[in-house]
Amino acid sequence: MKTFLRNWKIWRDNMLQVLSMNQRNLRYVYPFNPRRHFPIADNKLLAKTVLAEHDVPVPATYYSYQYFFELRTLEQDLTRLESFVIKPARGRAGGGIIVIDHREGDEWVSVGGTRYDIDALRKHMSDIVFGIHSFSLADEAIVEAKVEPHAFMREYSPLGLADIRVILHQHAPVMAMMRVPTQASDGKANIHQGAIGVGIDMTNGITTHAMHQGRPVETHPDTGVALLHQQIPFWSELLQYSRQAAEIVPLKYLGVDIVLSSSGPMILEVNARPGIEIQNANLAGMRPVLEHIQHGIAGDRS
Amino acid sequence: MSNLDSNYTRQRIYQLFLASMLVLPFGLMAYKLLGLGYPMANLIPAVSYHVDVSMQVTGHGDAINNATYLPVIDSRQRISNEVNYSPGFAFQIENEGRNRIARWQGESVEGVQNIVYSYDVQGRAVRYNIPERLKAPASYPPELNVYLKEEEGIQVSDPLIQQEIDKLYPEGTDLPLFEILVRAHRHLQDNFANRNFSGFTDALTALKLGEASCNGKGRLFVAMMRKLNIPARLVGGLVLEAGSKRTSHQWIEVYVNGHWVPFDTINDHFASLPAHYLTLYYGDKVLFRHTANVNYQYFFKMTKRLVPQPEAEAALAGSVLNLVNIYSIFEQVGISQNLLKIILMIPLGALIVVIFRNVIGLETFGTFLPALIAAAARETGLLWGMIGFVVIILLSAAVRRMLDWMQLLHSPKMAIMLTTVVIVMLLMTVAGVNAGLFELAHMTLFPIAILAITSERFAIIQEEQGFQKAMRMMMTTIVVIAAAYWVMDSLFLQSLILAFPELLLFVIGLNLWLGKWVGLRVSEFIRFRKLIFTERKQGENVSA
Repeated sequence: MKTFLRNWKIWRDNMLQVLSMNQRNLRYVYPFNPRRHFPIADNKLLAKTVLAEHDVPVPATYYSYQYFFELRTLEQDLTRLESFVIKPARGRAGGGIIVIDHREGDEWVSVGGTRYDIDALRKHMSDIVFGIHSFSLADEAIVEAKVEPHAFMREYSPLGLADIRVILHQHAPVMAMMRVPTQASDGKANIHQGAIGVGIDMTNGITTHAMHQGRPVETHPDTGVALLHQQIPFWSELLQYSRQAAEIVPLKYLGVDIVLSSSGPMILEVNARPGIEIQNANLAGMRPVLEHIQHGIAGDRS
Repeated sequence: MSNLDSNYTRQRIYQLFLASMLVLPFGLMAYKLLGLGYPMANLIPAVSYHVDVSMQVTGHGDAINNATYLPVIDSRQRISNEVNYSPGFAFQIENEGRNRIARWQGESVEGVQNIVYSYDVQGRAVRYNIPERLKAPASYPPELNVYLKEEEGIQVSDPLIQQEIDKLYPEGTDLPLFEILVRAHRHLQDNFANRNFSGFTDALTALKLGEASCNGKGRLFVAMMRKLNIPARLVGGLVLEAGSKRTSHQWIEVYVNGHWVPFDTINDHFASLPAHYLTLYYGDKVLFRHTANVNYQYFFKMTKRLVPQPEAEAALAGSVLNLVNIYSIFEQVGISQNLLKIILMIPLGALIVVIFRNVIGLETFGTFLPALIAAAARETGLLWGMIGFVVIILLSAAVRRMLDWMQLLHSPKMAIMLTTVVIVMLLMTVAGVNAGLFELAHMTLFPIAILAITSERFAIIQEEQGFQKAMRMMMTTIVVIAAAYWVMDSLFLQSLILAFPELLLFVIGLNLWLGKWVGLRVSEFIRFRKLIFTERKQGENVSA
């Protein structure tokens, strides 16, 4: 009985550390992320433009197409490029993204091996502008630089581009996790589709825990690479850029998605409703840090 | 005003609203219950059975007569909505003592003809307490003599009956009535097996066989009682239960201290009768009498319902501040009462959805889709409603995937989805009617637009997160629909809201409270179990 009571108290204390969906919405997203500021999270082009203006590194935007007539020059534009990424500015869940690795004669070849000629690419861009990948809102098609992953990332995540999600509240980093694609996730860095969530120690950028499909793992299930106790390169720069983004963007409960390129960290996009699964990847609740931040700010005010 | 001041004002106003939404409704309820004297007990709905007595005859041009007993009207069973359907037959009701006989007469009846007599029954259970020391009187008023006589099948004077009595009461029969009855009842209930003999079993046959059907045991009991100079009679009736059947039932009544007290030695009811026993006639009668050689067939179809108690409706209709008046006005004007019920109950359905979403954490396809589907399922019933829902969504989602692959513009795509949903619903209706599943025909009441939108959501989730995730959400949606249905279908809650519509303010109050509730959802306890259910307290991960 005594052990049960002791356990009960431990469990209750633990429970109070976990940020629930209800609490995230009521205490953080609603008050700190007013809807009028959502566009910068929804529109990747807008986010990149704003961040680039403040010298925060983002993948270079080669071209963007908002109207069909702009696609007239598509062939000329793309012929100048060897590799690039086509993505919808307002796309959801990675839909509509094509990553071109190199050119072969009249065709471009994607990282997955698919060949596209100019007509196929033009059709794809038209679809994006039409809004097929963005809830039928008319959209913009972005052609941007293909990120060359850092050597560390090439080894850590060979199956696809991994990203690092940092959650910040009032410009202070709260928690971070790396999302590593797997075969199950079809090369995508999406936890809900089967990617691995890796928790990171905020003080030094060393990976702590990893979860794959609800179960803890220590090595990558497909490649066997050791996931834990690895030092993420450029960690302090990464955190610095995320702080800068949090200061620039008017959303004060922010998820920042960063990739580690060979030339350093780059911000891909920002998120107005970052998920709470990051707590499972880190095996820790977010509330202690969030409340520490709130108290710090309140304390500053007094 | 500054941010802090506006926050303060916001909080105060919220608290004011919350308090009033909790106090006001219950204050009003209390006033109605205590001040106006609303009959709370009568708000609980009563069980009612709708009975269709179907009789079928086949004629060859001759006259055909048909007769059956209609339920007796007394304080124990309330009969209402009696409807006769007998085209081609003259119909009349006769009184035969306490019994009511319905007679149908047809001239030159040709071919198969159906007669259906329907009524609603609300029964009450009865239980008699027989004083332990009461003894049978020496004589009875003359009108009871008929219940002491020998009849065909009730062989009172046969020596075997006397033998049985001597066995049962070795010390003699000058015993309290209670003792006599207990022994006789237990003897027949415990020592005589129940057998489903169709047809007539007289008292002696039952005695010799040691087993009998209800009419056999009944006759034996009556024979024994009459031999003991205690008036007793057979009672014929129907055991009401949902479904169809052909067997009627018989039990007996014994005259004790001025009352006819019932006994059933098949289902062991001693001096009592349950609410679902319907009395059709007194005496040893035949339930159906008809012209011979007409290929006579019959059956009873019974539907169990809950109905508001008439006393409640009467009491509330006179008062103000409730909706019972509106309820009966709807009835008079011919608008379906269902409409009012649905309107009243949708806020509760929505509350259920909110609880399942924000407290339990089950994700569904739409914010209020489950409540709307539950409302629509009133006509189809929950089971067929669910089946129809799943079939429509899966088929339409498949069509949606195909349309996606064709890469159409969004609005025409949605219009095709809508048309698809309508087509599927019509197909289900036709298939249902042909297969005799008339509940399925009511699928057409389902909200078409909502189904189309839901199919699209299903298809999107299937595409983005896989078929399994989409099916899982389908399952959780069905669970929530069922919960909303169960609450919205509760006759007790409907009666409550009709009488106390201010409870809708309370529903608002609950939603106000849930609107600020930041606890962990039940699903999150499972999702974050590794963080919560540990042996030691979680370390903190405080960063700079």
